[in-house]
Amino acid sequence: MAFEKLREKCLNKLRKDLKDSVNDDNLIINAVNAIDDLEKTGNMLVTRLREWYALYNPEFEKWMTNQEKFSDLILRKDKKTLLEEIHAKYSIGADLSREDLEPIMILAEQARDNYAIINDMKKYMEFKMRKHCPNLLEVVGVMLSGKLLAKAGSLKRLSQYPASTIQVLGAEKALFRHIRTGARPPRHGMLVQHPLVAQAKQKDHGKRARTLADKIAIAVKVDYFKGEFIGKKLKKALEDKFEVKY
Amino acid sequence: MELLNKKFPGVYCKKQGKYKNIYTLNMVKGQKVYGERHYKEGPNQFREWAPERSKLGAAMMKGISQTGIQEDSLILYLGSASGTTVSHLSDICTKGTIFAVDLAPRVMRDFYFMMEKRLNIVPFLASANHVEEYAEIPQVDVLFQDIAQRDQVRIFFKNYDKFLKPGGFGLLSLKARSIDVTKKPGVIFKQVMDELNQRTTVVDYRKLEPYEKDHAFFVVKKRV
Repeated sequence: MAFEKLREKCLNKLRKDLKDSVNDDNLIINAVNAIDDLEKTGNMLVTRLREWYALYNPEFEKWMTNQEKFSDLILRKDKKTLLEEIHAKYSIGADLSREDLEPIMILAEQARDNYAIINDMKKYMEFKMRKHCPNLLEVVGVMLSGKLLAKAGSLKRLSQYPASTIQVLGAEKALFRHIRTGARPPRHGMLVQHPLVAQAKQKDHGKRARTLADKIAIAVKVDYFKGEFIGKKLKKALEDKFEVKY
Repeated sequence: MELLNKKFPGVYCKKQGKYKNIYTLNMVKGQKVYGERHYKEGPNQFREWAPERSKLGAAMMKGISQTGIQEDSLILYLGSASGTTVSHLSDICTKGTIFAVDLAPRVMRDFYFMMEKRLNIVPFLASANHVEEYAEIPQVDVLFQDIAQRDQVRIFFKNYDKFLKPGGFGLLSLKARSIDVTKKPGVIFKQVMDELNQRTTVVDYRKLEPYEKDHAFFVVKKRV
């Protein structure tokens, strides 16, 4: 066949290029997506677990609202201790035999392991980001920096975004509705997950998201060009401006 | 199994009641590229060409009059992605060669496994905007472009000027929404049509509804 030599040459180059194309961005983005999935499945498991466990001990199920602690506690302590802890005088739950309790506990173990994996992955991401994008990590925290990176695709692309784009990342639907029909523009996209925005009053949301996006844009640019560490300074500027700590 | 049209060698069609499916002859027996159906007839194995997965397939289903793709064509394919359409072109152009260009490593990975056994494909991991990165390819008979970029027409002409033989065909699959979301697709198609007509001759034009939303397919012929 014609072009055999060219094909061989290009194929070799492609193999090398594909091998070299894997970078920290890919690893971090996969980790953050994995955490997302794990959180979804974790919640599903615990919801099912609660439903099931409530047959046995509904008082504790009602009392404990934290998903993560719930699966941990029912594994470590038995019904009697748990009831004492929440000062319940008697239980309206059924007295299940050991065989009936066992599958519930297996499910609880699975749920607990799930949360353990999430924590491990978060540690891994933080370790990666310390080197890859320390400023971004300092300003917005582990999960949100990962999500921003995943949305943009890479640190390079995120660093090329203007602050106004970063402000509405994750609110594409509302943004394009605004462009198309002139409806009110979105104030923030995924930045609402940041405590600075989330804990603000409703009328300050836009203002805070805007300022936060500014600082993120600066942080990411410094990260991409491997500048010095200015994360602390950026964070302080934000805290001073709004007189809050996060 | 019969030819869809005398002008399209290698593209077969079969009527099944109300519906019509198009097929190409599988070059690598047993290979499935994107989970498509196989159809056996005698010693031959045909691969169903899904028009909702491939814009060229959609254009064929919509009855495009000519594409210029022959058995011995040299094709430059910009935006090959995972290789859905390229695999069918590789079935058709048994004596030709397809030069496939894509920028993204993620889809190139899928592409790589598809093309290992198809000897008439030459891959490039490059941007279609940077023509110098794959400048070693010869002049081609057909230029196919399917990239969703804002300046896709400009990129098309860049490659058109550099790589297309006089008398060759240019196939442009246009996504209106990536040019401007605020305008109506029809307005954009008209603009692009004018732009193309200034530089070359538009031979045929199809909207790809219902297979693709807000997409149009242009066939142009380079003047000799």
